[in-house]
Amino acid sequence: MSGFSAWLADAEDTHAIKAIAVGLPTKRVESWKYVPTRSLARTTWKQADPQGVEQFALTAGSFVNVPTLDGLSVTEPDILPGEQRRLNTMSEAHGFALTQAALEHSRLILTVEKTASVALNLHHIANQASSAGFATLVIRIEAGAQLTLIEQFDQVTVDQANLSSLRCLLTLDRDASVTHVRFQAANSNAHVFTNLDVECGEHSSYRLQTIEFGSKLARSDIYVALAGKEAQASVNGLAITNGSQYHDTHLAIDHVVGDTRSEMTFRNMVDGKGEATFNGRVLIRKDSQRSGTEQSIANLLMSDSARVNPKPELEIYADDVTASHGCTVGSLNKTELFYLKSRGLSEADARAFLQYAFAEKIVEEIEDPEIRDLVETQLLGELTHGELIAELKESVDV
Amino acid sequence: MLSIRNLHARVGDKPILKGINLEIKTGEIHAIMGPNGSGKSTLSSVLAGRDEYEVTDGEVIYQGQNLLELEPEERAWAGVFLSFQYPVEIPGVKNIYLLKAAVNAVREHRGQPELKAGEFLKLVREKLKVMQMDEAFLHRNVNEGFSGGEKKRNEILQMQLLEPTLALLDETDSGLDVDALRIVGEGINQMRSPDRSVLLVTHYQRLLDVVKPDFVHVLAQGEIKLSGDHTLAQRLEREGYEGIEAA
Repeated sequence: MSGFSAWLADAEDTHAIKAIAVGLPTKRVESWKYVPTRSLARTTWKQADPQGVEQFALTAGSFVNVPTLDGLSVTEPDILPGEQRRLNTMSEAHGFALTQAALEHSRLILTVEKTASVALNLHHIANQASSAGFATLVIRIEAGAQLTLIEQFDQVTVDQANLSSLRCLLTLDRDASVTHVRFQAANSNAHVFTNLDVECGEHSSYRLQTIEFGSKLARSDIYVALAGKEAQASVNGLAITNGSQYHDTHLAIDHVVGDTRSEMTFRNMVDGKGEATFNGRVLIRKDSQRSGTEQSIANLLMSDSARVNPKPELEIYADDVTASHGCTVGSLNKTELFYLKSRGLSEADARAFLQYAFAEKIVEEIEDPEIRDLVETQLLGELTHGELIAELKESVDV
Repeated sequence: MLSIRNLHARVGDKPILKGINLEIKTGEIHAIMGPNGSGKSTLSSVLAGRDEYEVTDGEVIYQGQNLLELEPEERAWAGVFLSFQYPVEIPGVKNIYLLKAAVNAVREHRGQPELKAGEFLKLVREKLKVMQMDEAFLHRNVNEGFSGGEKKRNEILQMQLLEPTLALLDETDSGLDVDALRIVGEGINQMRSPDRSVLLVTHYQRLLDVVKPDFVHVLAQGEIKLSGDHTLAQRLEREGYEGIEAA
């Protein structure tokens, strides 16, 4: 029995029957073996009620206030065959993905028109206690178009388990370029699910920066296909996991064709009894010659009971390829701590400096100054003794 | 200022310092010279409080306090400064954050008022000029991508800002070209004061041509084998360490 059974029983969807039969993934499902599903199973989930907001937002599985912008059109929800195939693959991934498909409340399809340049800022509004919202967003980025998509979460207090799920399909046509920033700072009882599928056409460029601080449980399944020659993807991420949080990112980059490049950088910082999982897979297919990939995964453990499950996977079947990878797990570097303390910084301040440094390597890459400031401010709030750095930034940054 | 008595220290099971005795009076500059592996860097690291080293015997009294009981940050607050042989890179932290945090932490513990942003910038610009460093250094990450010479200049810049009472300079001359050696040497000379003592650890004599020490000690096999005035450094340069070790 999952906490979605009653809801699924009411849903008129072919996935629902299967979802009930399969149930929530157990520890035996490799990609879900670390996910603590107890709170998902124990809550009797119901459809959330939408909330009144003024911005472009996702609330209770519905998109509200879709902006009217030059170069952006809202398309009738007619899914293309290729998109449907990708959604089907996404739905079949695991038992929970079936639930996400079956309980989809709304679907928004947007097109960024040829050579247009569009910026979208999507706000995720927290759902009420014991309630959930499931939605799907499809964006087609036409040839030569540019999209900046920023997702951010409102910070509220919800006293019990709440859930939001977004499945997102992005399709980049030739020469299109997308900068995608996800800043997940959801409330401490939130369960946040993201399924992202990106297809990059010829000479297109996709850049994702994903930052996770919030939620009780977050799971992201990200798949990026480099499907056209000269396509490139860069994904970098940071998860700060504290208290009894669980953060899980399963990221796969697929070099479907040759002459494609990818870069994957991920950092986990885990404190308290937090647990973080990162699975980073790069696949370079047999005929995808002259491709290149760089992968770097770093994990910082701040307490004895913190856990991290990093798994880098490189699968290379082509022979003319450049690939580099590295994965580290460790605690704060003793020599660095000694250096800072020898300059008069207290143990607590020195530790805060090094934690900040670890996270900042990802955060400083965010180009949009407003969102970068927002992330940095919240980052310093996350760190014990982050005040000193906040004060320094305030006083000497010019 | 500093009394080192019968100091023994080891790393793991390996004894490195085997009974060091050294008196440094206020205002004096002492140079410790010696071959590689003699324990020079261990001595300065033990004095600054690096915890990889275990002190097995002896004591160090600094201005009447048992130095070995203090944490590294407490030593810094008390006026001890170590210039690292290999300054540590801290990607993600701007140099200016470390400099300002360090200056104000030390000031706070010395009962001095905190420097405001404007006062701090004025001070740091003055010191940058002495070290012939560009202001851009302030906004680069701590030592990240700095050349060997830039790192050492950054160490002396920190010393200038922190105004220690006891400066331990560990191989500050290594990796410097002629010009950088002169700048670093002048940076050290400028800090000479009747209230400040300096312990220079070096392998070569060349820094001692710029910064003239009051005393020179030869450290070999974990012990001070010979002490003298600055002319001892010249003798070592001519005769090498072998003769001393054999003696």
